[in-house]
Amino acid sequence: MSEPADTQLVPPSSVVLVSGGSRGLGLAIVTDLLDAGVRVAAFARTITPELEKLAAEHPDRVHVGSVDVTDLRAAQSFVREVEQRLGPIDGIVNNAAMGQDSLHAHTATDDIARIIETNLTAPLQLTRLVIRRMLAKGLRGRIVNITSICGQRGFPGLVAYSATKGGMDAATRSLARELGGRMLVNSVAPGFFASEMSAVLGPTQLDQIVRRTPTGHLTEPEEVTPVVRMLLREHTNINGQVIVVDGAAAI
Amino acid sequence: MNELSRAQIRDLMAQVLKNQDKELPADDAAQLREIGFRSLDFSELALRVEDETGEELNFDAPGLRRIATVGDVLDFLVDLQHQ
Repeated sequence: MSEPADTQLVPPSSVVLVSGGSRGLGLAIVTDLLDAGVRVAAFARTITPELEKLAAEHPDRVHVGSVDVTDLRAAQSFVREVEQRLGPIDGIVNNAAMGQDSLHAHTATDDIARIIETNLTAPLQLTRLVIRRMLAKGLRGRIVNITSICGQRGFPGLVAYSATKGGMDAATRSLARELGGRMLVNSVAPGFFASEMSAVLGPTQLDQIVRRTPTGHLTEPEEVTPVVRMLLREHTNINGQVIVVDGAAAI
Repeated sequence: MNELSRAQIRDLMAQVLKNQDKELPADDAAQLREIGFRSLDFSELALRVEDETGEELNFDAPGLRRIATVGDVLDFLVDLQHQ
């Protein structure tokens, strides 16, 4: 269906849902958005003391919940709670993901299915859920998918993980088209972090990546959060893009 | 489960190397790097063990990275069959 472009600007997000917000990059995103004055709803399978502390410090601007991202019914309930407590959601950060650390030939088929369900199916379902709420309310909003450099470059031991991240990058482009400018949809693809999921690569591979990185260091969560915030809050006309944050390691 | 002994796994490892015109040393302390046994050779060996036992052997990479000697390979695969 060919339609004229929607020229009205998408306002900065004021209520942002962050999946996987209890630790690592997700927690850093929640903290950064709160510092920027945004109301934030965060869920994760397990609520960490750090996330609990943020909720206690900002009772009027934070809503947290223990939700497994693959449990769509629980996610639906959480979204309704958020709308009641913080107002309509007009921004989402799909950050929840599980890593991988096994050669494809020796990865159990159940594990492959679980990685795809967590990293690809669940964020697509959550995005569908939230954009339906936004569209029904006539809201404009912004979507940021946290993907990975693995979606663009090959790394051993990360086959299924890479497939999901590349899949989310592809979905980002199509969703940006489909939503016709009513919502801005982008991916942020960090390089490897020194901690957490990067542990899968082992010290030798991480050393190699550092040596190949012009900035001389692995990505830190604090280097990613300003980009996420920009995509949620600034007027940039960036839409349907994958922004790599890796110090040019992959170039 | 039809489990392979350490000696049987050693025989399969020798076959993997022989197909590449390489020889498996008798010494379990021999370094894999020196004999040219790489991670995909390990993968091939694991799949050969699977063929013999009829059971999938799935494992994560960190354990694989700690393997440095012939003995490590044999120990890893013997242990893996018990998991």
